[in-house]
Amino acid sequence: MSTVLDTSTVERVEDKVGESMWSKAAYKFRRDRTGMMGLSVVAFYMLIALGVALGLWGTEWSDNNGQKWEGISSQYWFGTNILGQDIFERAIFSTKTAFEVGLVVAVISTLIGAILGALSGFFSNTWIDEIILWVMGVLDSIPFYLFVAAIAFALSGFSYSMHVAMIATFWTTTSRLVRGEVIKLKNFEFVEAARAVGVPQHIIIFRHILPNTFHILLVQSTIVFVGAIKSEVILSFLGLGVKDGVSWGLMIAESTLEVQAGEFANFYAASALLFILVMAFNMFSDALQDALDPKKVSA
Amino acid sequence: METLQYTLRKLVTGIPLILGVTLISFTLMVHFGPDKTYDLLGKNPTQEQITEVRHQLGYDKSFVVRYTQYLKELATMNFGYSDSSGEKVSSILIRTMPVSLALILPGFVLGNLFGVILALIAAYHRGHWIDKIIMGVSVMGMSVSFLIVIIAFQVIFSSSQGLDLFPVRGWDVYSFTDYIHYVTVPTLASIFVSLGYNTRFYRAVIVEEMGRDHVRTAKAFGAHPIELLFKSVLKNSLIPIITRIMFSIPLVVISGSLLLESYFGIPGVGKVTYDAILSGDQPILKAVVGLTAIMFVFTLIINDILYKVVDPRISLK
Repeated sequence: MSTVLDTSTVERVEDKVGESMWSKAAYKFRRDRTGMMGLSVVAFYMLIALGVALGLWGTEWSDNNGQKWEGISSQYWFGTNILGQDIFERAIFSTKTAFEVGLVVAVISTLIGAILGALSGFFSNTWIDEIILWVMGVLDSIPFYLFVAAIAFALSGFSYSMHVAMIATFWTTTSRLVRGEVIKLKNFEFVEAARAVGVPQHIIIFRHILPNTFHILLVQSTIVFVGAIKSEVILSFLGLGVKDGVSWGLMIAESTLEVQAGEFANFYAASALLFILVMAFNMFSDALQDALDPKKVSA
Repeated sequence: METLQYTLRKLVTGIPLILGVTLISFTLMVHFGPDKTYDLLGKNPTQEQITEVRHQLGYDKSFVVRYTQYLKELATMNFGYSDSSGEKVSSILIRTMPVSLALILPGFVLGNLFGVILALIAAYHRGHWIDKIIMGVSVMGMSVSFLIVIIAFQVIFSSSQGLDLFPVRGWDVYSFTDYIHYVTVPTLASIFVSLGYNTRFYRAVIVEEMGRDHVRTAKAFGAHPIELLFKSVLKNSLIPIITRIMFSIPLVVISGSLLLESYFGIPGVGKVTYDAILSGDQPILKAVVGLTAIMFVFTLIINDILYKVVDPRISLK
């Protein structure tokens, strides 16, 4: 009796967490310390952003109550900017802007990338594939900032023109990855079986094949999220980005004048918050990739 | 002969790509772009004046006519005169392109070179603390925004609050010392920003190559580790490395320099194009976008030919 108990304590990872790819990945991810740290920082930022969206804090971002360039005090945690606005409030409000840009761009570009990538992979070497590949090739060969600037003008006045431009350029990478995976998957037995019992083609593509690329979509959407937040900063600085509200990019853009006068509070606040979020997201994304990609050898 | 045939065939397949890029950019930048009619007119213009200016700018012609006109200009490389300054577009480009290249090239070359070197060091010490430090710093480097790096470096190296060693902005280059004087800070910024991405990418490529059978065999035969790294690993990882470098060339030349040029006030192609978008200077936009598309297609072709040179197993079909 005791020997039976002894062998059961020597359990394999598979016994403990189950056989599915997702439970294995979750197990692997939870043991990844940098990844968990990244995730908790991202979650904390998300809470801040959620609070701003619900109007709990960050509501006084546009009030200029203070004097120009006040120092750090209990009232103004990060001091005030050139207009006497509370930098802390503005930095907090910008968190919401960053999450809004990141989420909108990541979700929509992943959706487009998934659908078009699946179609182009499933119908590879047909005219559908040719057309989708052509569109991707075209979008990839237009310089990004020029493209954004052009879209901003074409959709002048539309406050989401930056989002549109980012989505239009970011989906192609996702789509290429999904296409490659679908080409591999469509020759598997489960697809053949589905076809044999007469499952309609669109159901095979979107219900049988596409869910199997979900790990790619998940990782790719975190990468797009980071890309969107970073591009927002540069676009806002160039005057092509966020139109209403405030963002870290706009804060850095206004800080360029202050920096010349030796006032760094605005620049530090926006840069630090941006850096920590992007860094945490990169760590989270790396851990996710390690956990989900069975082929990838970690470190 | 085979290579020539291959090149020609690739050129033909590149045509739809050029057509697509020019069509999309033409629609966005020219068709929906800013209307310059009223910039060129005085106050209270008459209807005739308006029609005349619109005719001069070509606004009264149909989309198809204007687009084919553009393609003709692209084929003959004759883009006419800038709407804003009246200068010939080709002479603007000839003046600004060398500036952009001179600005971008050192950072691009050094960023990739250091990337490969660091990646080799990291991969060689894989799993060791040296590897961990290099990769950790790379992720940190990747997380800093280009804009922040530019501002910080300008403050540190060029402003009176910092070291005050280099000019804050501008481009008065008449000699090599002038060039070094103006190019250093932008170069440092672009190396800093690209290094993290490059190192990570190249390390992944090299680590994958190190796991291959021929490397293990060479190791078993007692090949010297450094020789192994350069001969068996680096040489075989050249394809992804070349691809990455080649594909970034067309975009680096224009997009990459845009931010640097507008922040440091350097009169290069990026700045000129950016101003052209904002003011609706269509001849310049048409030239830049068309040339970028053509450059992209040529890059694809050169890339495929380089594959062949690097790896004789690849057939030109």
